[in-house]
Amino acid sequence: MSAPTVVHAPRRRRIDGWRWASRFFLVFMLIYTAVPMAWMMVTSIKSGFAAMAFPPEWWPSEPTLASYRNLLDPQNSVGRDFLRFFWNSLYVSTLTTILAVLVAVPAAYAFSRFRFPGRQFLFFSVLLRNMFPAVIFLVPLFILMRFLGLVNTHGSLVLTYLTFGLPLAIWLLKGFYDNIPIQLEQAARIDGATRFQAFVLIVMPLSVPGIIATAIYSFIGAWNEYIYAYTFLSKNEQLTLPVGVQRFFSENTTDFPGLMAASFMMSVPVVVLFLILQKYFVRALTEGAVKH
Amino acid sequence: MAHVILKDLVKSYGSVYAVRDVSLTVNDGEFVALVGPSGCGKTTTLNLVAGLIPITSGDIMIGDRIVNDLDPKDRDIAMVFQNYALYPNKTVYKNLAFPLQMRRMTTHDMDQKVRDAARMLDITHLLERLPRELSGGQQQRVALGRALVRDPAVFLMDEPLSNLDAKLRVQMRSEIKRFHQDFDATIIYVTHDQLEAVTMADKMAVMNGGYLQQYDTPAQVFANPVNLFVASFVGSPAMSLIPLEAATNGGTTMLSSAEGWTIALSDQNARKVQRAKSKKVVLGARHSAIRLHKTQVEGAVPAKVYTVEPTGDVTFVQVFLSGAVVNISLPPTFEVEPDEQVWLEFDQNRMHLFDGETELALND
Repeated sequence: MSAPTVVHAPRRRRIDGWRWASRFFLVFMLIYTAVPMAWMMVTSIKSGFAAMAFPPEWWPSEPTLASYRNLLDPQNSVGRDFLRFFWNSLYVSTLTTILAVLVAVPAAYAFSRFRFPGRQFLFFSVLLRNMFPAVIFLVPLFILMRFLGLVNTHGSLVLTYLTFGLPLAIWLLKGFYDNIPIQLEQAARIDGATRFQAFVLIVMPLSVPGIIATAIYSFIGAWNEYIYAYTFLSKNEQLTLPVGVQRFFSENTTDFPGLMAASFMMSVPVVVLFLILQKYFVRALTEGAVKH
Repeated sequence: MAHVILKDLVKSYGSVYAVRDVSLTVNDGEFVALVGPSGCGKTTTLNLVAGLIPITSGDIMIGDRIVNDLDPKDRDIAMVFQNYALYPNKTVYKNLAFPLQMRRMTTHDMDQKVRDAARMLDITHLLERLPRELSGGQQQRVALGRALVRDPAVFLMDEPLSNLDAKLRVQMRSEIKRFHQDFDATIIYVTHDQLEAVTMADKMAVMNGGYLQQYDTPAQVFANPVNLFVASFVGSPAMSLIPLEAATNGGTTMLSSAEGWTIALSDQNARKVQRAKSKKVVLGARHSAIRLHKTQVEGAVPAKVYTVEPTGDVTFVQVFLSGAVVNISLPPTFEVEPDEQVWLEFDQNRMHLFDGETELALND
């Protein structure tokens, strides 16, 4: 018919093509991320034999919770170790998170609100640490920790994790504070609050989502960290989970159901945290994307 | 309520001056508008009075106290912000109560005051809502309420109407004016909109480049602008400004254009022109002080119509004259076409003359 129809038709088809491509991509990503998780859970409820069977059993013929019972039983050695590692991880990650938030909140606020000499330089230098792969700092930090007498203590890990976590926490929170209009604090100060009261009474409640997002971020980082924990700690009773689960590997046999059950248990706190706090997390990351 | 005195107020950031030597007195109960284009220093001046930024030099007096080094909370001021700055996680009630809480008022007195303020501003039914559940006009009223609730010495308002749509702005304009009259409030009001300043304020302070240009009643500023900037800034449509040269011909002083036409001046205007530093003179005329003729008339100068803008009550005609755009208002019955040849006659008694070099008004 007319020329506009001719131009219009291929454009419509191309949009559809993109839509399908993005659907395929999303499905692929779903499989890519979900299948290993599913396989982990399926394997964890198999017996040791069934886990090694070939062709693999898609669903165990005799599902069993024996591995979980084993892990959570403080009476046997595996359970004792696992619970101790779990506690160690929880302790290190929680302490790291609390310290990261305690330091990052005032630091980010200062970077966001105050103009002081060297502000730009300092702000970018907190990121310097994150420009290098973690392994580069392994040996120097180990030497430093030995010098400080912190090798084989959880303090060494907390300090190290803070060097990763803090810069990101400060960046994340600064973005958040930047989006809180400064007029709110000015209004509070005129209404009779001191600068500190304005921060505590007005800014802090508004930045809760940002603080939660930051906390999740640094908790997960510390919870999953392997290489430093592996290097700094050698005593069995101090190991964290990522290092500890290695004990399921041995030279001749590997207890795959036990390993998978431990991995599953390890992912529980992260998933639970995320499910409870995800609305804050999403809000924090998209804050400022839309005008209020 | 109290008066406010600014004396030689200066704010600089390194070598950049935001406010330079501003001195003015706001009398008790007076409504003063600080007006000027963006970056002229009006908001900085307001923030200096509020104590939100430290002054570089000069003095600020509120009532009989010099408040230069006092914290905002100790200055006995209230402020209404452009974005209202309502605390988003507090209900309207708690927003209004916050200034009283900070003053450690008893719960009973506080409740009384909050409800009084809410009644005065007709927001009682909104007390339990959150700011985001309110319309722009309601938010504006809550912001006014939060300022009003603790009976401050001075109200500071930073462009409180510019976030509202045009219709609401006109309505809130009269509400704020009413607010001023009802409470005899001392108000310092910042706006970039000269119309707001002219319609609301007892006095207007026109600022540009950090300097206070003119501080007077709107009528005076309108009738006697002290320089080219004030002349071009105040009034809508703006005053037409035509750069010309002074000349004398057989004892008569006149203004001549590069296009060849001349305007003979009255004795009074001739005296003004003689005070100019050089021959360069700028002729200023409001739209109503120019008459448009369709035929050549003695003393009128030739020009060409550029656009015709009927607004209903009046029709504004823009005319090119000697490189400048001239605005003229005409009755809507007057018919004129674009590109038509017309003649303009300037009212000698209502023309403004400015020194082309110093840009200052030439006075008799």
